[in-house]
Amino acid sequence: MDFLITTLLNALTLISILMLVGLGLAISFGLMNVTNLAHGEFVTVGAFAVYFVQSIGGSFWLGLAAAPIAGAVVGCILEFAIIRHLYSRPVSTVLATWGVSLILQQGLELTFGLGAKPVTPPIEGTLDLVFTVYPAYRLILIGIAMLTLLGVILLISRTPFGLDIRTVIQNREMAEGVGINTRRTYAIAFTFGAAIAGLAGGLVAPLAIVLPQMGVNYLANAFFVVIVGGVGSIGGLVAGSVFVGGLTSILNYQISPSLAQAIVLLAAIVAVRLRPNGLFNGASR
Amino acid sequence: MSDILLQAENVGIRFGGLQALEALNLTVRDKELCCIIGPNGAGKSTFLNVLTGTLRPTSGSVRFLGHDSAGLPLHRIARLGIARKFQIPSVFPNLSVEDNLKVARWGAPSPVRPVGELLELVALGNRAATLAGELAHGQKQWLEIGMALAIEPRLLLLDEPTAGMTPQETLATAQMLLRLKGEFSIVAVEHDIRFVRALNCETLVLHQGRRLRSGPFHDIESDEMVRDVYLGRR
Amino acid sequence: MIARDRNWLLIFATCVALAIIYPFFAGGYQLTVIRDALIFGLFAASLDFFWGRTGILCFGHAAFFGIGGYIMALVTLNDAIPFGSLLGIMGAVAGAAFVAAIIGYFLFFGGIRGSYFTIVTLAMGVICQQAAVSWSSVTGGDSGLIGIPPIEFDLGGLHVDLSQDLPSYIFVSAIVAMTVLALWLISRGRWGTVLTAIQDNEIRAAALGHNAPLRLLVTFVLSAAIAGLAGALYVCMAGLVAPDLSGLLLSTEVIVWVAVGGRGTLLGPVLGAIFIQRAQQTISSFNPSLWPLLLGCVFVIIVFVLPDGILSIYARLKGLFKGRRRAQ
Ligand SMILES: Nc1ncnc2c1ncn2[C@@H]1O[C@H](COP(=O)(O)OP(=O)(O)O)[C@@H](O)[C@H]1O
Ligand SMILES: [Mg+2]
Repeated sequence: MDFLITTLLNALTLISILMLVGLGLAISFGLMNVTNLAHGEFVTVGAFAVYFVQSIGGSFWLGLAAAPIAGAVVGCILEFAIIRHLYSRPVSTVLATWGVSLILQQGLELTFGLGAKPVTPPIEGTLDLVFTVYPAYRLILIGIAMLTLLGVILLISRTPFGLDIRTVIQNREMAEGVGINTRRTYAIAFTFGAAIAGLAGGLVAPLAIVLPQMGVNYLANAFFVVIVGGVGSIGGLVAGSVFVGGLTSILNYQISPSLAQAIVLLAAIVAVRLRPNGLFNGASR
Repeated sequence: MSDILLQAENVGIRFGGLQALEALNLTVRDKELCCIIGPNGAGKSTFLNVLTGTLRPTSGSVRFLGHDSAGLPLHRIARLGIARKFQIPSVFPNLSVEDNLKVARWGAPSPVRPVGELLELVALGNRAATLAGELAHGQKQWLEIGMALAIEPRLLLLDEPTAGMTPQETLATAQMLLRLKGEFSIVAVEHDIRFVRALNCETLVLHQGRRLRSGPFHDIESDEMVRDVYLGRR
Repeated sequence: MIARDRNWLLIFATCVALAIIYPFFAGGYQLTVIRDALIFGLFAASLDFFWGRTGILCFGHAAFFGIGGYIMALVTLNDAIPFGSLLGIMGAVAGAAFVAAIIGYFLFFGGIRGSYFTIVTLAMGVICQQAAVSWSSVTGGDSGLIGIPPIEFDLGGLHVDLSQDLPSYIFVSAIVAMTVLALWLISRGRWGTVLTAIQDNEIRAAALGHNAPLRLLVTFVLSAAIAGLAGALYVCMAGLVAPDLSGLLLSTEVIVWVAVGGRGTLLGPVLGAIFIQRAQQTISSFNPSLWPLLLGCVFVIIVFVLPDGILSIYARLKGLFKGRRRAQ
């Protein structure tokens, strides 16, 4: 029983992170049709923000507040300098954002030096959950992730900006016709996605090995989330995260992590073959 | 029965809440030429998609040579002998005119006409080496007709072949088709009434997804109701 | 069209001539440097054959290079297997082709193209590298496998022994030249023309009777097979195989070679591979972490300044010159 609960909670931790990282990708890849290979670096930058704040004596919570800001700043610059000039050239976007990704990784390495960076969680110790004992910080992580997701849902469904986004997604030309500045909306949405990914980086920092190259694993997995879940709905994002995160956590118990990754990749490919529009949007085709 | 090439019976299709086509019948005999006309949004392109099997009707049936082609991959449909000119001119812009026709021939199970003959048929003999992307709009339409011919079809479906053409080009296109009449069956969807008048063939008038009238074109042209919904606008 | 073919053949002949006279001027070490660069050139040509003709970017091509390399290493290091070199090469080619066939089948027939394809192949590359690291009982883990013998086989009375610098240089040059020529013939002929048509408008090509997914799949498998061959050749020349041969960095470097050399030219990517590796060695001897940084900058520069590769500078200058003349 406690084994089951622990696996479930582990899966939930991973799923939470994937949802946060995948959200930005669902916006850029899914809705704006921009393949941003530097998305993993938003996670890295968020994690480094926490490390940096802690290393100059700040608290974890201060660092966690800095993480989305760092992600947003990098995302905003990337959008202005590169992505908006390449909307009509998808392959060029891939190449340029990959270049940026390499530059950011190497820049971080040159600035902060080689080796993994230590980040301490705000709370050590475990919590007794009747059925099992579980690290307290992980529970906090899950809580913050869920609250963030809830916030995003409210933002998109209840605010004027959310309405703009939904309109632009539905029909770009029509949105321009009714006077929505689509470029600005894209830029804000992109920056927003980067901020959420930065937050995710800050959240995983105490659990992960903080390295300049850490982003690529999140990048690959988040893309799976978006591909498997389909684009255009929070439901798809959740479905994709549950699929990828759940499968990875379960497999991780049985076999080596990289074999688990390979199986998740294969499962994702097969899922896409069977439901080209994503798990969640399967009926609409 | 023997010379019936394509038979659509009681075809209907729904897109969500929209009944795009309803209770349509069409019989195309071997080597016959016929036209489908109707205002924009009448469902002409959708009907063509159903006829080629790219869209599966929600009711009714379409049989080509007695087989149901609905849901087959596109290239299999082509190999059955159904050629098609799309509404949006879709040639291969990065290939020369000649290569466009070659690609079309290579796709056919048994191409007959050599490229040179095709070029002459569609009046592009002097543009063989031009990149298709650089052709004038009307010439692109012709090239597409040429590509459809290259696969030696039993049935040629044309979606608005004269869209965007000058009146002279429109007439030239009609003459092109009249010359080909008798080699295979042709179904032309059109918007331009001068073109249909020049073809002067069996005509089906669509309106809001339904059959409004059908018969020889001179009967259609003199029909009050057709004039009201459609011809009256011109 | 005809003039373009003639130019290509002219450049190809020049390169072959240079490759033939090079050993008369270069020492053994320089020969091996060019030989290894040529193998990567072959790898670049294999990517270009797919990317250049289909417009679909494979972001994990090093996976096939690595698969070829590991299979070659495992076969030749196993004393129980006779004819190690020949079987190894065949196994390497077949293994890479097999993986490409499986992945390609699901993607192409599932309607996956463009960015989606790029992403899935990127993930494939990441996973291959991870597998090479963690499956250490077979792959030797992080440090890889060493002591791979040079290629040696008998074929129709001909004894081929590539343990010396010059024979191995000649062997590799000949394979690269023949493969590039063959790929060029394929891509300018019927196969390549139809691929260009599919790239332009896949639905139209299908409506003309072409089985587009199958054609893309076969092209991808052939491209992967050649990448596997390059990997097999490389590990025999280097004598070792390591996880980074299937890694993301190599996957992206090969993209730069192709992009800088000129996508779709087959020959350009080979030259791009040779020159950029020379540059890389020079820069890395200076400061090893400078190279990835520079590589990143090259990516950005290519996109914004030279979208058609280095060779396009020549074409642009020519255009400029012609334009002036016409203006006069
Ligand atoms: N895939 C589709 N989904 C929903 N509605 C469609 C689809 N295709 C066509 N329609 C609708 O069906 C109607 C007929 O369209 P169409 O066949 O293109 O008309 P026409 O070719 O006669 O101008 C239009 O109202 C159009 O909006
Ligand atoms: Mg139409």
